[in-house]
Amino acid sequence: MKRTDVDEILRDALREEVSGARACLDDLEERIVAELGERRPRLRTIDWIRQLVAPTRGARFGQFAVVGATAAAFLVVGLFASRLLDHPEQPAVGGGIRLETAQAARTGMQDVLFVVPAPLAATTVVVVGDFNDWEATALSDEDGDGIWTTTIPLSPGRYEYGFLIDGRWWGEDPRADEHVQSFGEYSSVRYIGRGGEGG
Amino acid sequence: MYRVQDEVSLLRASLEGETEAWGEIISRYKDAVFGLCLGFLRNRADAEDITHDAFVRAYVNLRRYHLDKRFSTWIFTIAANLCRNRLRYRKNHPVAEMPLHLSGGMDPARSLELEERHDRVRAALGQLPYAYRAPLVLRFYNDLAYREISEILAIPEGTVKTRIHRGKAMLKDLMENDEERDQA
Repeated sequence: MKRTDVDEILRDALREEVSGARACLDDLEERIVAELGERRPRLRTIDWIRQLVAPTRGARFGQFAVVGATAAAFLVVGLFASRLLDHPEQPAVGGGIRLETAQAARTGMQDVLFVVPAPLAATTVVVVGDFNDWEATALSDEDGDGIWTTTIPLSPGRYEYGFLIDGRWWGEDPRADEHVQSFGEYSSVRYIGRGGEGG
Repeated sequence: MYRVQDEVSLLRASLEGETEAWGEIISRYKDAVFGLCLGFLRNRADAEDITHDAFVRAYVNLRRYHLDKRFSTWIFTIAANLCRNRLRYRKNHPVAEMPLHLSGGMDPARSLELEERHDRVRAALGQLPYAYRAPLVLRFYNDLAYREISEILAIPEGTVKTRIHRGKAMLKDLMENDEERDQA
């Protein structure tokens, strides 16, 4: 057998294999579109800055505005950080989320503090939600008082989430805006920005 | 509705959250992505899962894609990385080997010998290490150029050429050994 024969056999064999197995693809697009629902592609930080200067875009002024807005955002963050160093705040104790509203408002992003009162014996607490693609973001309890926290920067929008305490689901955050039932369990929903607590 | 639109318009509409436009993108690429996954993973259920995940992840992260680059390269890169993760997972969580069953059946006019050769080459492909199998699938199923394969697998173009050359030699040896065993 020649090497060139292998090329052809392999090409035909793979195509034949896919055509024999592709029945599972028949309604793939419908399933994914239904699953995505109202979901939109995730915004990057740079897109938020671009949105801010959108009215001036199209002219050279727009480029200066992007630079200016970025510099202003850095300035605000810097001032905020220096104030924090002078007057450090302790995170709120209790279930739920508290919004750090002093985050640079120009970017539209807000630092959201997730707080979970967990049993003292708990060893891992994570938050999962549509903001992290339902992949775990760990919370920490450095002083061992059973209050687990983490901060996640979020853009304005509706977020569904829940916590896993040692692998057990806890989706009924008492301070959430609403609770929804999905996959047979409750999840918490929080609205950040316009119309929500963080706005 | 979206049939007549070009790819860039569909991607722009998808960026605006028009999931129907994304559905049309899926229609155009699902066979190519599924073939890649099936070739890499050699398992239909895993290939179906990863094809689904690749399109969902690509949509969620669509803003990371640059419209001036080829969309196929980007979606294939996502699928290839997900396949690699799944293969890593399968090392620790193996599933029973299930032969890939072809529901379509062979054209009766085609020779039995050709059918046997196809079975042999597919079995041989499954025995190759991933490093050789992946470039072969991208080259012979997805019809990609060496440069694109190198981008997707994040390896130099020269390495792609070497692996395809060696991979074909390995396939040929495996097929011949298999044939000899059957004749003995």
